Amino acid sequence: MAGVIRRNKDFHQVGTGWNVVLNLIAGIFAFLCVFPFLFVVIISLTDEKTLATDGYRILPAQWSLEAYRYVFQSGDMLLRSYGVTIFVTLVGTVISLIMISLYAYAISRNSFRYRRFFSVFAIVTMLFNGGMIPTYMVVSQLMGLKNTVWALILPLAMNAFYIMILRTFYSTSVPEAVIESARIDGAGDFYIFLRIVLPLSLPGLATIGLFSTLGYWNDWFNALLYIDVPNLVPLQSMLMRIESSIAFIQQNSQNSSLSLTALQSIPQDTSRMAMVVLATLPIIFAYPFFQRYFVQGLTVGAVKE
Amino acid sequence: MRNSKRSFSFVLATLMALVLVLSACGGKNNNAAEGNTGTSTGGGSEKTVNLIWYTIGTPQKDVDRVMEEVSKYTKEKINATITMKMVDWGDYQQKMQVNVASGEPMDIIFTSAGGFDYVQNARKGAFMVLDDLLEQYGQDLKNTIDPAFLEGSKVDGHNYGIPANKELPQQEVWRFNKQFLDKYNLDISNVRSLESIEPLLKTIKENEPTITAFAMDKNYVPYVPYDYVVQNLPMAVKLDTTDYKIVNILETQEMKDALNLMRKYYKAGYIAPEAATTGSTSDLMTSSMWFMDRAQTQPSADNLWSQSYGYPVVSTPASDAIITNTSVQGSIMAISANSEYPEKAMEFLNLLNTDPVLRNMVDSGIEGVHYNKTDETHYENLPESKNYDMPSYSLGNNMLLYLNANDPDDKWEQFKTFNAAGVDSPILSFNFDSTKVASEMAAVQNVKEQYWSSLMTGTVEPDEFLPKAIEKFKEAGLDKVIAEAQTQLDAWRAANNK
Amino acid sequence: MATFFRNLLKNKVMLFMVLPGALWFFFFSYMPLVGTIAAFKQYRFSREGFWASLVKSEWVGWDNFKFLFSTNDALLITRNTLLYNIAFIFIGLVLSVAMAVLLSELVNKRLAKVYQTGMFLPYFLSWVIVGYFAFSFLSMDRGMFNQIISWFGGDPIQWYSEAKYWPYILVFVSLWKSIGYNSVVYLASIMGIDKSLYEAAMIDGANKWQQVKNITIPMLSPIIIIMTLLAVGKIFYADFGLFYQVPRDSGPLYAVTNVIDTYVYRGLKTSGEIGMSTAAGLYQSVVGFALVMVSNYVVRKIDKDSALF
Repeated sequence: MAGVIRRNKDFHQVGTGWNVVLNLIAGIFAFLCVFPFLFVVIISLTDEKTLATDGYRILPAQWSLEAYRYVFQSGDMLLRSYGVTIFVTLVGTVISLIMISLYAYAISRNSFRYRRFFSVFAIVTMLFNGGMIPTYMVVSQLMGLKNTVWALILPLAMNAFYIMILRTFYSTSVPEAVIESARIDGAGDFYIFLRIVLPLSLPGLATIGLFSTLGYWNDWFNALLYIDVPNLVPLQSMLMRIESSIAFIQQNSQNSSLSLTALQSIPQDTSRMAMVVLATLPIIFAYPFFQRYFVQGLTVGAVKE
Repeated sequence: MRNSKRSFSFVLATLMALVLVLSACGGKNNNAAEGNTGTSTGGGSEKTVNLIWYTIGTPQKDVDRVMEEVSKYTKEKINATITMKMVDWGDYQQKMQVNVASGEPMDIIFTSAGGFDYVQNARKGAFMVLDDLLEQYGQDLKNTIDPAFLEGSKVDGHNYGIPANKELPQQEVWRFNKQFLDKYNLDISNVRSLESIEPLLKTIKENEPTITAFAMDKNYVPYVPYDYVVQNLPMAVKLDTTDYKIVNILETQEMKDALNLMRKYYKAGYIAPEAATTGSTSDLMTSSMWFMDRAQTQPSADNLWSQSYGYPVVSTPASDAIITNTSVQGSIMAISANSEYPEKAMEFLNLLNTDPVLRNMVDSGIEGVHYNKTDETHYENLPESKNYDMPSYSLGNNMLLYLNANDPDDKWEQFKTFNAAGVDSPILSFNFDSTKVASEMAAVQNVKEQYWSSLMTGTVEPDEFLPKAIEKFKEAGLDKVIAEAQTQLDAWRAANNK
Repeated sequence: MATFFRNLLKNKVMLFMVLPGALWFFFFSYMPLVGTIAAFKQYRFSREGFWASLVKSEWVGWDNFKFLFSTNDALLITRNTLLYNIAFIFIGLVLSVAMAVLLSELVNKRLAKVYQTGMFLPYFLSWVIVGYFAFSFLSMDRGMFNQIISWFGGDPIQWYSEAKYWPYILVFVSLWKSIGYNSVVYLASIMGIDKSLYEAAMIDGANKWQQVKNITIPMLSPIIIIMTLLAVGKIFYADFGLFYQVPRDSGPLYAVTNVIDTYVYRGLKTSGEIGMSTAAGLYQSVVGFALVMVSNYVVRKIDKDSALF
């Protein structure tokens, strides 16, 4: 690996001055992006009363772990939600990668007679949707997925957007000649797909894998629609429920009996921020796994040589 | 090429046919309501039915456990068991819309002006008409709860739900953070109108510049003696009206004066500069950094506020106590139009609203687990009650509830007095049907959202923006909406001999 | 007919590959499309469930679409939606590609990874929370910007009632949130480019800029075109959270923040008419579809291989 990087340096490098400038640009933008998240962490560690009095401060007058204590109060619920989210994300990403990569491969091949039909078939789904209630009818009543973990996995398994991206990756990073020569050697379509196309498209697969991992990790809407049982509620859905409940109670603050009873049961700002931190940290650590495929696209060269 | 085109259309046609067949199957599927399978009891000839009850609030851990106990009790009394499904505050509206639209099996539905709107959904056919059921199975209920509730919650002359028996009228009060009243020795006995608060605000602004003198969020509207035909749209009828004329509230002298005053207060710095976009003042309440605000009251509200904020709060009336549609429709339980057992559901609602044992069980959980009774009418929460913390207002007759140690002994008597003192709004139980002007309503709503908060909180100059808003409302078709509402109101008046 | 089946047989491996996906699309996307009929109905509940309600509800023709066009706001919301999306598409494209190229050129790959991870973080914050942050900068009395302004002796600005700043704020916030995510696609594509092309260019004496201009950008063009075409399909959809939560639903800003999605939300949140919301969605879809068809046609004329279909 080290050797490859060094070779890389010889051919593919900017001058030192430019390097500093580029580093500055990327660094500043990255900081702008990280900063609010750090702020979230700080707020989650701020004392509730202090927050109400001073507002958001980078260095709060009074620190507190109370928010985390509050969130962990639910104990097993939180752990369960982690479990659900992780399971759904792992299984979902694998399933959608398989389905998407197969579909995208077929419609990327010129030899496939119906490629245009199936391209359009996919793209139309991106533009038109039947709406929430009809989709709910199909998933919950026709397929009977309500209150099963599949209701969290299947509705996100395919995505025309990812298919089109991956199709483009296939056609740009796999030279037609490579496939042709394999075919002349007598390789079948499946063999070519598994042994030649997939390895050559690793950055593309990693991109789609990352997108769908994030998609599953961040999904809360399917849980809102299809999950009524508490032990299948994913993490983001817990978070969104808190956020939308706060919004609801604020909108109905004129209803005195509602606001008097409901306000007490709603978590405070700091606890919400703690939830955000808890819901985001694990996935940040999963990120480098995909990242190596698009920061060092070395695999491609290696396979080709 | 031509060949492939033909095969396209062939495939497409096959798929379309499949869609139709499959969706037809789907349609059949939900005719048979799956959840409502009754289990037959050994003894009785009538089989026990299970009622599904959707209600609002953060789902509680022990709901199923409590409902098991509740079911034992109701099985004995009315031969029905209860399954309660709680849907969180913010999800309720959307989730119930999906559930009702898709024909999910359900029997009892919580509905209110804010969550899964009562009138709208009654008109769309979500709820069953209760007139006959109420007559047949609801006599005890009719005798128990204030008749004004049942009368006031009629939609087009029919009852679609049972309102919770609680505070009936709505009355606005000025609330004060008592520490500042004491500190500056301010007298609130003469405070009532919007003008009358000015000297107090001035004192606070001068002496406590860091305190928000007049706390408010974006929902604040200065009080004027009108009742709104549609909540927060500028169509209203004067409370002491005789001709039942619907006017644009923005064109009334009362509102103009109030807005000018608000502007004056805003410019004087009594109001937070961001009031018009502030969703909630709860930060101010937690930190006690406010002097006064306006709120809706109920008996012994000062007590409740002081308890929940942790410092003394006092209040004085800012308006009369008026019984309006909004106040009557604050919490209603309806029977779903697709209920398999509407009679049983009505029997249950009757029991829930008249039987203290059942009502308190639903509210506080299992005696000895979640709460203990200290005497005939009082109770105390046990530590386990954190697993069953329910919003009382949404679960039926409040006046059957046991009192906690902080409540005055005559709490429910106070409520009855308060309710008896309420005055009917002239348009109580008139519900505007906006179907015919649906697209104008959508446009009017948008104009309202654009101008309302900034005008009402004094953020913008009324001299400039009031005419602008009135003009925009006109363009959006408010006149047509008012005309339609007036026609309906006149017809309603004729039918009800008002 | 016989040729049709022979063709099916000839393509059986490929057909087998698309089968799982096609079935998915059929069930999860095409079947629910039947519900679009609601756009032409006044939807009323029936106790037999959704399909029965749909069939029994009264036909109202185009009535449900009227609210989108009947007012003076119609032009405004269409203009806002279109202009913002065009800005997001093009500025976003340029900056995402630039960021991807930049990251790929950094000498220290470990630092590049750190930057990239950082740029991803905004993607995880919901719009509600982004709205809070915007507020902590723009708040009238406590906001950071106004504190800086008054520190320099200027007058504080009422950010939430001054419409003129918001087009810039919204574009900035949107780009800030999406660049990290979007640049991944381009970065991955750059990594897929055959390294021997650069080696050959180096030998020919091409400098860095020439390499980017003559190799990287042309090699990226297929993915750039696809991404843009896909974005064009969504041009009538606005990101609701961006336009609703970030400006805190502030009335004086509507002239520059009201878009189709917020208009529909505000107009229907009390009545909840299913027919009208379906109509709005259908309108957005049809326009998006038409635009995709046209732009795809144009792309096809120029370069057949880059087209979507």
